[in-house]
Amino acid sequence: MEELKRKIEPLLLKTQKPARYIGGELGSVIKDKSKVDVRFAFCFPDVYDVGMSHLGMKILYGLKNARENWWCERVFMPEKDFEKQMRDNDIPLYALESLDPIKDFDFIGFTLQYELSYTNVLEMLDLAGLPVLSKDRTDLTPIVIGGGPCVCNPEPVADFFDLFVLGEGEELNIELLELYERMKPHNPTKQEFLREAAKIEGVYVPSFYDVDYNDDGTVKSITPNCDTAPAKIRKRVIKDFDKVYYPDSFVVPFTSIVHDRAVVEVLRGCIRGCRFCQAGFIYRPFREKGIDTIEKQTKALCEQTGYEQVSLSSLSTSDYTEIEKLLATLADYTDKENVNLSLPSLRIDSFSEELLERIASVRKSGLTFAPEAGTQRLRDVINKNITEEEIMHTCRMAFAAGYGTVKLYFMLGLPDETDEDVLGIPELAHKIVDLYYETPRELRAATIQVSLSTATFVPKPFTPFEFEPQATPEEIDLKQKLIIDNIRSKKVKFSYHQQPVSKLEAVLARGDRRVCKAVYEAWKKGCTLDSWDEHFRPELWDEAFAECGIDRSFYANRRREYDEVMPWSHLDYLVSREFFIRENKKAHQALTTRNCCEGCSGCGISKEYGGLYCKGV
Amino acid sequence: MAQPKNQNLIVERWDYRLTFAKEGRARYISHLDLMRTMQRAIKRAKVPIWYTQGFNPHAYLMFPLALPLGTDSEIETLDIALTEDWEFDRLVEQLNGSMPEGLYFISAARPVRSHKDIAAARYDIELSFNRPAGEMLGLFESFVSGETIEIEKRVKPKKGRKPGVKLVDIKPLMTLNSYELRGEKLYIDITLPAGVESNINTGVVIDAFCAFAKAEFETIYTKRTKILCKDGENFT
Ligand code: SF4
Repeated sequence: MEELKRKIEPLLLKTQKPARYIGGELGSVIKDKSKVDVRFAFCFPDVYDVGMSHLGMKILYGLKNARENWWCERVFMPEKDFEKQMRDNDIPLYALESLDPIKDFDFIGFTLQYELSYTNVLEMLDLAGLPVLSKDRTDLTPIVIGGGPCVCNPEPVADFFDLFVLGEGEELNIELLELYERMKPHNPTKQEFLREAAKIEGVYVPSFYDVDYNDDGTVKSITPNCDTAPAKIRKRVIKDFDKVYYPDSFVVPFTSIVHDRAVVEVLRGCIRGCRFCQAGFIYRPFREKGIDTIEKQTKALCEQTGYEQVSLSSLSTSDYTEIEKLLATLADYTDKENVNLSLPSLRIDSFSEELLERIASVRKSGLTFAPEAGTQRLRDVINKNITEEEIMHTCRMAFAAGYGTVKLYFMLGLPDETDEDVLGIPELAHKIVDLYYETPRELRAATIQVSLSTATFVPKPFTPFEFEPQATPEEIDLKQKLIIDNIRSKKVKFSYHQQPVSKLEAVLARGDRRVCKAVYEAWKKGCTLDSWDEHFRPELWDEAFAECGIDRSFYANRRREYDEVMPWSHLDYLVSREFFIRENKKAHQALTTRNCCEGCSGCGISKEYGGLYCKGV
Repeated sequence: MAQPKNQNLIVERWDYRLTFAKEGRARYISHLDLMRTMQRAIKRAKVPIWYTQGFNPHAYLMFPLALPLGTDSEIETLDIALTEDWEFDRLVEQLNGSMPEGLYFISAARPVRSHKDIAAARYDIELSFNRPAGEMLGLFESFVSGETIEIEKRVKPKKGRKPGVKLVDIKPLMTLNSYELRGEKLYIDITLPAGVESNINTGVVIDAFCAFAKAEFETIYTKRTKILCKDGENFT
């Protein structure tokens, strides 16, 4: 530690926000190395400000550090300025707690939250002084593992990882580290360890599977080549969610980060089944914590961190069964302690005004809606359960209470989208502007602004739209133009996402193992921090794909047959292929599917997984 | 209409001036971040902090003098107010219960001097260079014995103009208490203007010297040792 620290310190004074690179925050866990048997580097492949906001990391950090002889530390991607300093001064990637180089750790674990972080994984391995390809890392350690939502199709990064952990990590991480701790004294080879690890449910060792292709380029088969590797790897689910480990302390950063507050997870999974939404399917089934548990965890965290804000985290907090009671209970505590209670994913139409008054975030943040599509027909196609009536009703109430800004989020390039659907987007904005002018002058705000924002739809694995082609950049351009040409009011502002990023996301989301090569080449050419507009280099990605002979349209813009073997066919996320096909067919007929709370639609999950509404066996 | 949240709260307050240390890893906490860090530390410690009144009540904290990033100190001050009259020792002990590494309170007292009285601060600086230390000592001698010592100071832009820099002669403003060689390191003990009227960081002096000597420092360690008032008295 001391040696590296001496090298790092003079560089910090020449670096933007140096507190990101030196650790020492309150709540960071320091242990005596000599008493530790397993060292784990938890890597978030993006910069500190983003990674430190991530809840999954906080959970797994606390979970592993709860074992006296395990030490889990944090590692982030350096910004370009500090990365250059590290390379110029021979500083290998180190962990923030011990300031020790991570190449000496037992495990290096990456959480893969979005496809555009893939090149950062390679960059971090390289900065650590390790070969980026799994086959070139022949020693037992460090074992490079990956988890997070993107591992539902990890094939485009399969060559870089030794193993993946599928689904929820609270039990799986423990089982994997326990196995390692048992085997370590016997000095196993990497192969020997991986063979044993593959027996744990949820562990996927990519090198234990052979992929064959058809003449047309589609996948023919994915078969295990090792007797301990199962034909299908099933994701892990915490069955008793109320009892699952939750940290009673967070690392509290010095510098400001994206979400700088206490966070309590109230439920997991989503009942809604929006057909474009991967999170809505891969985190199923819906489970929630009891009010007592949530209250206890809220208090513990607020007291340990000293945060003045706590937020409830979930995919859709208003779907909590006793939401009014929960909020009232928590508000009693937070009011008393001068803590703000914020609810990022709340449908505000379902609440009494009195309760809204008490929740600061709703008052401050203004009105945000995500209709996703411009017409009711297209909203039915995507099964997005929000009506124009609801939006208008909420806006009417809000305008009368003096609100003056409305934000609306849409996707472009959805399946079966017509010009009429696209035109529905500016139309809805105009209706909202009109509604503002209908509000009595003495009640309404001085001015109105409606912001429209569109993102290009990216079809994802394990959704009913996994079969769908992505709209081409040219098609999206036309759609954007159609919106621009039809905005008639100065009160409406329109912003949109750039094109090359979405196509790249589509390729990385549904690619197979052959895409690894392009990821490698793009990184070699200097692509990192791709999710940052200022760093994204589409021309380098173009070159990389061209050199590897990979046609991106094959992955992004091709309709896939219902019987096609998907690159992720050997992974089991519990929701059945039959269900996705059924949902896809209903989408094309613009038929909606009820949510899990209204009645189970038999998506294939057995009730033994603890889902509140699941009926299947 | 919403009411200010704490409009019925007691307004009675007891003022405290805390002396704290910032060292080790904590030296890289910026001044802005330090404010947030202290707010949270106080909240964790559950001392009865006095909140400002109004729609957006916040804990009252005031730093009489900012400490530049990367500088150690054991004499920093933070002013707070409580809604109860606490013993000084109890306050210090309670606050130190949950502080991050390198940040801790040393003592508490009633504020005596106004922060406007602060005029200067004294620093120990320890440097090593990419050139032999003996050579650097000679260069430092000629640097400080020149007619003037000019540094570039950023000036606030006039309306519609770009921010500019102007040259300032800091020779009459600084006091060089001592300097010497210890092994391969150059030690400097210097007093510089600090406070609301004029403020000069050690960094600009060192940068000016490096430019003068055409050298670069390899390691630097700076510690603030005193905060001084106009009349030469210690601030605390
Ligand atoms: S099994 Fe039924 S209730 Fe459970 S997640 Fe699937 S559709 Fe919803």
